[in-house]
Amino acid sequence: MYLLKLFKNTTNMKNSLIIARREFMERWNNRSFRFMLFLGPLLLLAVIYLLIIAGNQGKSNLNVLIVDPTGLFEEKIVSNPSESITYYFYQDYVELEAFRDEKKFRTYDAMIEINEKVLINKKVFLFYRETPNVQLKMKLKFEVERRVEEVMIEQFTNLGIEDFRKIKQPLNVDFRDVNDPLNQSENEIAWVGYSLGYLMIFFLGIFGTNITRSINREKANRVSEVILASAKAHELMLGKILGILWASLLQLFFWIFIIALGLWVFEYFIFSETLGLGHLEGVQVSDQGLSQFGQSNPMMNYNTQMDLFFHRINYAFLIPNFMLFFLGTYWVYSSFFTVIGAMSGDESDGQQFVIPIWILFGISIFAGYNAVQYPDAALTQFFTFFPWTAGMVAMVKITAGVTVVSYLFLLLSWLIMVLVGAVLLYFAGRIFKNGILSFGHKLTFKLLLKWLKI
Amino acid sequence: MIEIHDITKVFQEKIALEKVTFDIPKGMVFGIIGPNGAGKTTLIRILNQILIPNDGFVKYNGTLLNEAHVRSFGYLPEERGLYREMRVMDQLVFLGELRGLSRKEAGDKAMKWLQKFEVQDWAKKRIDSLSKGMAQKIQFISSVLHDPEVIILDEPLSGFDPLNINLILNEIEAFKNAGKSVIFSTHNMDSVDSICDEVALIHAGKLIAKDRVANLRSQHKNGDFKIRFRGNVIAFANALWTSFEIVESKEIGDDLREAVIRRRGNETFNDVYNQLSSALELTLIEEKLPGMQDVFVKVIQEHNQHEE
Repeated sequence: MYLLKLFKNTTNMKNSLIIARREFMERWNNRSFRFMLFLGPLLLLAVIYLLIIAGNQGKSNLNVLIVDPTGLFEEKIVSNPSESITYYFYQDYVELEAFRDEKKFRTYDAMIEINEKVLINKKVFLFYRETPNVQLKMKLKFEVERRVEEVMIEQFTNLGIEDFRKIKQPLNVDFRDVNDPLNQSENEIAWVGYSLGYLMIFFLGIFGTNITRSINREKANRVSEVILASAKAHELMLGKILGILWASLLQLFFWIFIIALGLWVFEYFIFSETLGLGHLEGVQVSDQGLSQFGQSNPMMNYNTQMDLFFHRINYAFLIPNFMLFFLGTYWVYSSFFTVIGAMSGDESDGQQFVIPIWILFGISIFAGYNAVQYPDAALTQFFTFFPWTAGMVAMVKITAGVTVVSYLFLLLSWLIMVLVGAVLLYFAGRIFKNGILSFGHKLTFKLLLKWLKI
Repeated sequence: MIEIHDITKVFQEKIALEKVTFDIPKGMVFGIIGPNGAGKTTLIRILNQILIPNDGFVKYNGTLLNEAHVRSFGYLPEERGLYREMRVMDQLVFLGELRGLSRKEAGDKAMKWLQKFEVQDWAKKRIDSLSKGMAQKIQFISSVLHDPEVIILDEPLSGFDPLNINLILNEIEAFKNAGKSVIFSTHNMDSVDSICDEVALIHAGKLIAKDRVANLRSQHKNGDFKIRFRGNVIAFANALWTSFEIVESKEIGDDLREAVIRRRGNETFNDVYNQLSSALELTLIEEKLPGMQDVFVKVIQEHNQHEE
């Protein structure tokens, strides 16, 4: 009601917009703000670059033991296998522990388990002792897949190999560390969402404390009274929140644009050569086979990070949702920052009272971690609808992929955030109105209640 | 005209203003005076709608004070405040816009004022690079930039050097001559003497006197006259002795003396003249009225005695 009333009154909004523009310009005129527009995303790109480079490291020659107790592969692989991979066949069952520990298997760098289930569930596990590099992973996948195709055609169809490839499902080669067979870190896409949520909290932390600091500075400068002679307290409050939001959105847009540009440069200029088709070394791959991995360069699929950044993340869906939940989360947190600024007796008060918000940020970060690890747990459901953690959880869920129904639930959580934010802003407005002219006082709980009541 | 009716304002348990009622006529310099903590600033904040009274109301030109009225007021608060990192022109434009001016109007008016005060070179300077006095000037400009109908100045002369005090007093005079109302709050009584037409004296949240300055001074006169004469001092004393006593006497030039005499009864200006003119060469007789400082102290003492 309070906000509706405020928005209906155009004079009020005009004052808020004038104040918002001043707040924005104050930040824009700050050299470090402009510096961070570029430095922040460039640092992040550097991290992504390092992650991709790290994905290209690893063993370059492999001795692979194909454990094929049923003799499905008939001790054969593709006609011209890669020179850097040597295949050995073992027609008996081998326990993972035995492969890992027994001396006779020590000469093999990796083990692939082949059994009749492969033909049905299209999934093969490859256990490695030391992470193979991207090229080797690529070659392994293609060579094993070709052989599985041949076996399937021989056993189940009358189709020629080209026709079969048109209708076949891709083989899923699951690369696992022999020491981490359960592959706990598989949910990396959810971690991307977590990182985005973390980025959101980072921005909120920076710009939210800006609200508190800005109010404290106005109190210390005694400029509040000058403003309040021309604008209402709630106009000043809303203007401040809006202006700082504009500044944070500008930072975000710059970050998104520069990171997108950087990823494009990575994909088409920096990593296009090193991960190009030339590494297939004669392995026959059909066009259909290529298209299932990505637009142009199937090798990239084998760099987990490249795959993650360029193919598995649906940016067109993620970015608008990131903005949506960023706005919702900013809305719900900004009222807190405003209250803290308004009720502070001096700047050290402000720093002290920010602690509860940092605790909420901490809970939010935990909620994100929880959502990655236990996406369906009851606690995750709670955090989905808890306004101070909803943004973080939404990022994890949206990045990992959501059904229509779960997306609708996320939108509901956004709506709750907006409503709770509006109620909090109403109370923040009351405290702001009464606290903005007070400076140098000792804040007591009684005083706070008094400000809420007046 | 501004009518203040039964204004009461309470902060927590402290009564800042208690049933304060008076009118501020249009087109004059009106002083709200009182000691520190009397409630002057609270009243001024209520006039600017920064604070809402617990009881009572304010009318402006016959209607209840509203936001539109307040936008046509100019306000210079006691505790000056400007954004220290902003440039002078940006600051003035920002505050002008908040008072309803367009960006261009605010810029044009700001430049006119800067030129009037001969400080146009400061337009691009940051506030934190200005001296306190310079910043005060900018603050003053910001309060009058939008050509307000009512100008409320809370301790406007504090922080200014004598030259700048003159500048501000001239501006206040110019506002008055232009038919605008100037509300002036201070505890510096010298400035009240020189610029206020009428005052309201507030003490401990209550209105204890309200009148024209001349009337207040006249009401509290103590029957002193200042005399300047040439002639014999003994003749001067003899001429006075039945009706007046000499408070002080000093030579101020060759055979020229100045004295302050106090009447013993209800003697008037004419009595002084009649008694002295035959015995001495008079160059000046002036009824000595108390300054507002004296009136202020006297009124408060009387009020305190009355309260006891």
